[in-house]
Order: sequence, then C-alpha cells, then structure tokens
Amino acid sequence: MNGATDLSAFSMFMCAILLLVPLIAVWYFKLGITKNLVTSTLRMAVQLVLIGFFLEYVFKFNNWFLNLLWFLVMINAASFSVIKNSGLRIKQFALPVLLSFIIANFFVVLYFNYFIAQLDFILDAKYMIAIGGMVLGNSLRSNVIGLGDFYKSLRRDEQLYFYKLALGATKYEALLHFAKKSFVAALNPTIATMATMGIVSLPGMMTGQILGGSVPLVAIKYQIAIMIAILASTVLSISLGILFTVGYSFHKNGILKKEIFRTNP
Amino acid sequence: MFDIQNISKRFSESFVLQNFSFQISRGDKVNITGRSGIGKTTLFRLLLGFEKPDSGTISFEGSVLTDASVWELRRRVAYVSQDLNIGTGKVQALFDETMSFRANLKYKEGAAIEIPQLFDYFELQDSLLQKDIETLSGGEKQRVAIINALLLKRDIFFLDEISSALDKPLRIKVLDYFLLNPDFTVLSVSHDNYLPSGVEIKALKLN
Repeated sequence: MNGATDLSAFSMFMCAILLLVPLIAVWYFKLGITKNLVTSTLRMAVQLVLIGFFLEYVFKFNNWFLNLLWFLVMINAASFSVIKNSGLRIKQFALPVLLSFIIANFFVVLYFNYFIAQLDFILDAKYMIAIGGMVLGNSLRSNVIGLGDFYKSLRRDEQLYFYKLALGATKYEALLHFAKKSFVAALNPTIATMATMGIVSLPGMMTGQILGGSVPLVAIKYQIAIMIAILASTVLSISLGILFTVGYSFHKNGILKKEIFRTNP
Repeated sequence: MFDIQNISKRFSESFVLQNFSFQISRGDKVNITGRSGIGKTTLFRLLLGFEKPDSGTISFEGSVLTDASVWELRRRVAYVSQDLNIGTGKVQALFDETMSFRANLKYKEGAAIEIPQLFDYFELQDSLLQKDIETLSGGEKQRVAIINALLLKRDIFFLDEISSALDKPLRIKVLDYFLLNPDFTVLSVSHDNYLPSGVEIKALKLN
C-alpha cells in the first residue's frame, strides 16, 4: 500500500474556500445558524487535529492497555451523546447506557477482530479504533433514534401503555409493543442504506481503503463485514439499553417516572 | 368491594376531586355523572393506580391499594377507556396480543370461540378482524375495545363513555350487556339516561 497523497497547505486553503458556499448560503438566506456552523466547523478542525496527533502515537506504541483505554473513552463519549440527544437525564441513564454500549461494542469489535479479520493481536490499535469507531458512530445514531423514541413514545402514548396494563399485562409485556416499534425505527435507516450501498453511496470506509491503496474487491469485503457488525452492535446496544434502563425508569406501580426526561413535553 | 375514603386529587392549582368518598359493592351498577373536567376519568385512573391521590385511601376487597397490590387489581378489572388509542395493526393481532399476556393465557382457547359470537352480538362483520385498527370508525373501535375487555372473563368493569359513537339501538344493546348481568360489577360514565327495567342503577354525581 502506498497510501493516499498528502494534502498540502494549499489544498487545505482551497478546502476553506469551499466552506464559503455553505457560509454564504446560510448568511444570505438568514437561516440563523451561521454561528452554529462556524463553531461546529472550528470544533471539528481542532478536535481532528488533536486526535490526529494523538492517534499517531497510539498507532506507534500499539499498546493493548492504551488501545483499550482509548476505545473506552470513545464508548463513553458515544453513550453520553446518545443520552443527551434523546432528551433523557444523564444522571439516571449514564450507567445503564454506558454498560450496554460497552458490552455491545466490545463483543462486536472483538468478534470482528478475532473471527473476521483474524488478527493475531485482537486489541490492535488500527482495527480496534478504526473499526470500533465506525461501529460506534453508526450504532450511536441508531441508538439516539431507538432509545429516544422508546421513551418519547411511552410519554406520548401513555394512554396506550395504561390500556395494556389494564388488560392485565405486566410491565414488560406492555413495553414489548413500544420496544418493537423503536427497534424498527432505529434499524430502518441502516437497512435503507444497505439496500442502496454501492449504487447511491460509496461508504466512507471503502473510500478510505481505496484511497489508501486497497483494491476495490478487498474494500467491499470489509464494507460488507462492517455493515453487518454495525447491525449487530446496534441491535445489541438498543436491546441492552432498554433492558438496563427500564429498571430505573418506572415507579413500582408501573408508571413512567417523569423526571427521567430533561424537558417537559 | 371498593371503598374510597376522603380522596383528594388536584392538578396544578385546581382540585379535581376533594374529600371524595364512596363504596361499591359486588354486583353494583354505578353510573358517574358530572360536567366535563370534573374528574370522571381521573377517578378511573386513580382506581387503576395510574394516578395517586394526594390524600385519602382506596381499598379493594378490604385492603388498601399499594404500588404492589395495584397489579392484582389491574388483572381483576376490565377497563374500556374513552381514549380510542387502542393500538395499531390488525384487529385480530390486538386480540392475540391481549391473550398472549401471561395473566390471560388461560382464556386464549375460549377467546377463539367467543370472538365470532361477540362480533355477532355487537353487529360487527367477521371480516373486520383482518382490518387495520387505524382504518376503523369510532363506533367500530369502541366495540372492538369492548370485545377485547370481555375476552378477559373478568367481572368488574370500568367503562368510560364506551358507547358514545354508537347509534341508539346499538348503545342499548351494549348497555344491556353489562347492566343486565347480575354478576357484573359496573362503574361507568355514560350520558345515556337509559334505565333498563329491573336493574337498580346507582347514580354518583361529582361536583
């Protein structure tokens, strides 16, 4: 592999010029998100530069403890992002969501490294952090939909939940209906993406590998494997996430605690 | 059977129920009346443990309801809500789901036989079973909810305006079904001033 061509300072400058397109559009149409756009772009640049330097060292040392620790930091950030973006309270959800993410993502990434990539060193930095990042990033999005939708739909359709309880359902029996719906909502985007993959979109992983010098036929094998890994980790983390949080989220009489939400409806 | 003692419930600043007491005995037919917003639905919700009274107690068969014992009560009472959000999917799937709950499993086989009979009594076509709940009319949904409750083989009924979307002959048929059965204990909200002969209906006016 000869790797992708490095981008010069001039290239990055031209990249900044391209940023004028969204900036001017946002300003011209008075969309009111100019500040958001600028801060987000700056944050992205600063974070990526820092991570770039950091990862250089992580890849160089390739120390199992450091790799593990960094993966845990990534999982931690993902869990907090899920809780925040689904409108739930950190205090009640931090532990159960973190636990569900750790179990789901460790299982999938270690399975990938051991059985699919067949690495000798299954905690290898390149695989653990790159594959882990892709799996985590994608299951994060699905979890925001899945876990968020689960609790939001319970609040919105509380009458329906009560109706099921009055029909003699246990808490778990009544929740099954809501869990099923949230699962479908969470998995649908991934399923739709898979159906158009290769035709509409060349996924980031393939692009990266092709630029990095892999032949397309190798890249697609990884892409197929990674999509299945994403599905597996999504299903695992949503099920465990719901399972671990329902214990905290209801009063003894089966009523949903209103204090689990950060905002009122 | 039910003993409600001095319960008060308020939402934000206004009392919905204040120092309210009454008793229901086995076989009673009680009709709750009162202007809208007075707390008729709240009363059902309190009795089913979906709300807690700010003060006062509710007893069921001699023991005060607690967070733990309310589950038993929910398995004894059949509740037909005024809210017609009874789910999504096919009507048959709704019945199947209800009968799949552990508490109802023993009635599953009987339900298969009873559904056609109840459909016949409440004047619904069997083909309705394969329709999506969302496509039903209000009156059809009400009858499906009533049948869903009857399949549970319970003898205490909380009926919250269950016939409001039905025409008069059908309304009477629905009310007769519950009021004429001496074994049924019925607590209902209904705007019909219908009194079948030979049945004593206790009026409970909230104000």
